[in-house]
Amino acid sequence: MTSAADQTRSDIAAMLPRLRRFARALTGQVADADDIVQVTLERALTRLDQFQAGTRLDSWLFRIARNAWIDEARSRTRRDKVFAPAEAGERVGSDGVTEMHTKLEADEVWAAMRKLPEEQREAVALVCVEGLAYREAAETLGVPIGTLTSRLARGREALQVMLGDAR
Amino acid sequence: MSIDDDKLIAFIDGELSLVEQAEIEAALAQDESLREKIAAHKRLRTRISAAFDGALAEPLPKALRDAALAKPHQAEIVNFATRRAARWSAREWGAMAASVAAGLLIGVGVMRSQPPMLSATDDGLLARGALARALDIQLASDNAEAVRIGLSFRARDGRYCRTFELTRATTAGLACREDNAWQVALTTMVPASGNMRMAAASAEIVTAVEEMIEGEPLDAPGEAQARDAGWQ
Repeated sequence: MTSAADQTRSDIAAMLPRLRRFARALTGQVADADDIVQVTLERALTRLDQFQAGTRLDSWLFRIARNAWIDEARSRTRRDKVFAPAEAGERVGSDGVTEMHTKLEADEVWAAMRKLPEEQREAVALVCVEGLAYREAAETLGVPIGTLTSRLARGREALQVMLGDAR
Repeated sequence: MSIDDDKLIAFIDGELSLVEQAEIEAALAQDESLREKIAAHKRLRTRISAAFDGALAEPLPKALRDAALAKPHQAEIVNFATRRAARWSAREWGAMAASVAAGLLIGVGVMRSQPPMLSATDDGLLARGALARALDIQLASDNAEAVRIGLSFRARDGRYCRTFELTRATTAGLACREDNAWQVALTTMVPASGNMRMAAASAEIVTAVEEMIEGEPLDAPGEAQARDAGWQ
């Protein structure tokens, strides 16, 4: 017998690749993204009872991930004020995978996304990367649709300027 | 009639009512510059999504799989700093077989419109959108837009297979024609440099091609012929 919670758990496991994709778009960093995914999983699994059956699991997870990223960004700002930045060398390595990720992060689109203001980046990540409808994306972020579309338009405009029109 | 940018973007995102869509389509028919604007917006959107699609095909780190499978009482809230210290080694990433990722992807039926180039289905990873179109019709000699085609060949099991590379992402792969779809058998990361070599140059893909191929790769006429026959 499969309980509703078990079903949700396996649905969450199936969502992991998309959650990683979203987190990468949100953070612009592979390692940060996987930390966010990990925190999201932990939070989601301890709050399974808060997920309402029949609502979108992806939006729910994206919302948790986005809040985790905001928390992390805040605590990082605080930490950086206290400690010298110690993380610069952390990801440097000769390992092939690390190298691959370094290259991934050097991708023009990744770099351009990192430069966007947070609120524009999360709008672009939800709609352009994850394909959410405006209404769903607005609900995920807890903002009115008009706010979402204006962030989306400004984000795209900035990306277009940074990336040019590659044909 | 002037149509503002917000409306064009909403059109591309599939957010307009049927009436509004029809209005735009009518305007498009007689306005070259509008068509060009729409095309530029579409290219941007495709480029953004393609840059992150690699995450769908990459093997999942063990730590994430373990966390997903942990029983509720085992799941603990650990703060970021603690985890940072205990981050899984980079080696674990590489050690995972791609099949694990494919297995975990099963059941992701929630992929939405504006198809990404890869999507996970019960039949495995399928090519979608621009990738599927390129595999259908593009020849190795054609100018690459979103996708560059490498080798095409007939596999021992009779299927046609083609290697490809996403030009604006860092993914290359191998797809085979089956049941009127392109099954993506393998994807791999390639450096995001300006002068990428053809898809088949990736060692991993070459190995897979060598294991699967019947005879020699198709030459240009053979490739065009197979395409015109619908890869049957």
